[in-house]
Amino acid sequence: MIGIVLVSHSEALANAAMDLALQMVHGTQPPIRIAAGAAGGFGTDATAIASAIDDLATTDGVLVITDLGSAILSASLALEIRASTHQVVISDGPFVEATTAAVVGAAAGSSLADITAEASNALSAKKTQTLTAPHASVGNDTAPGSPAASAEERLINPMGLHARPASLLVQTAGEFSADVELTNTTAGRGPVNASSVIGLLSLAASRNDRIRIDANGPDASQAVNAVKQLVLQGFGELS
Amino acid sequence: MPETLTIDAIQQWLNRFASEITTQADWLTELDSAIGDADHGTNMVRGTAAVVAKLDDGSTSTVQELLKAVGMTLVSTVGGASGSLYGTFFLEMGRNSPSSVQLDASELENALRAGVNGVIARGHAAVGDKTMIDALEPAVTVLSRSLADGRQLHGSIAAAAAAATTGRDSTEPLVARKGRASYLGDRSAGHIDPGAASATILVAALAASVGEGIAR
Repeated sequence: MIGIVLVSHSEALANAAMDLALQMVHGTQPPIRIAAGAAGGFGTDATAIASAIDDLATTDGVLVITDLGSAILSASLALEIRASTHQVVISDGPFVEATTAAVVGAAAGSSLADITAEASNALSAKKTQTLTAPHASVGNDTAPGSPAASAEERLINPMGLHARPASLLVQTAGEFSADVELTNTTAGRGPVNASSVIGLLSLAASRNDRIRIDANGPDASQAVNAVKQLVLQGFGELS
Repeated sequence: MPETLTIDAIQQWLNRFASEITTQADWLTELDSAIGDADHGTNMVRGTAAVVAKLDDGSTSTVQELLKAVGMTLVSTVGGASGSLYGTFFLEMGRNSPSSVQLDASELENALRAGVNGVIARGHAAVGDKTMIDALEPAVTVLSRSLADGRQLHGSIAAAAAAATTGRDSTEPLVARKGRASYLGDRSAGHIDPGAASATILVAALAASVGEGIAR
């Protein structure tokens, strides 16, 4: 599992962002370290960031997520002065969104490269939802073709496909080797890959929207069925 | 006989830097309150005091060790962008200094140039962005030119300090393009950049110490 270092000018901000993201993890939590504040006030401290990175030396790589300007500067210096040699990437994603994407991705066992891309792309869901034009679509880089299995269901949980169900869906789809894609057929958004919580959020799927599930691969029908069950059970949000 | 800057003179430079920072802390903070978060004076006082304490413990015996220790001390005590940038300056100076107890003029020039280049690389800033680079870059450029013209080290460093002061003052009308001041846009104009001000103190302290501390 990869590790995450949150670099913020404010310890309160970093703790809150971590807690918010961890709300979406329903199994083993990824290792997270916070390097926030400097000299008892607002600021960032390269030596604190370096020791946070060193602390995660046994992970499969570390993603460093930063808030305002000098946080990046301190993080880049930290890469020079750290004692460890494992792979570390400084994310260019927005703080809260990238933290969410990284925590969910790490918990699902994604690679550092995939999580780096997810975190970097973490504004796309917000951009899609604030577009006035309908039928906006992001993340559609999959070649068209006949899926090995498909299903279409209506979302019944009150809040639709928001962050928590999306992360649950990522974890469920990640249990299968089949490639799973979702499309919001009501709004005409997607398809997006079910391995990306940010991609799923970009579907902006609300209650009563119809969601098509397509899967390709050896266990495609099992994967479609597992995702379909989640949708039918309202992601456990019906009680 | 080449002029050299002994390790004692370098220590004297840093002690002088610390005392000048303390003297001018209120002014630095005032500059920072206009376009930043009003803590530059406080942060630099804390950092340079830690440097003085570090030097006094006598744990470094070469110029390279001393400058690296100064860099790490500033990184861990100043905080924020200033800590990383001043830390980078001294770490790069240290990496580009010999493992000896003195620097000759060209070694000092190389180390200072490496320090300034490190700051430029770290902050992605250029002259005109309203940062410490506006003071440091002309200072090292003038130092190199003066030494190449055959002037002595202490005269060349004095010229570098004058160039830093001119560079510092040139930041007043500028609109900040780097750091938190850049969020202010046009409102950042009309104030001297606090980083350029503290960097000028650094070069001036070097000029004063070189004037006194050269072994001939």
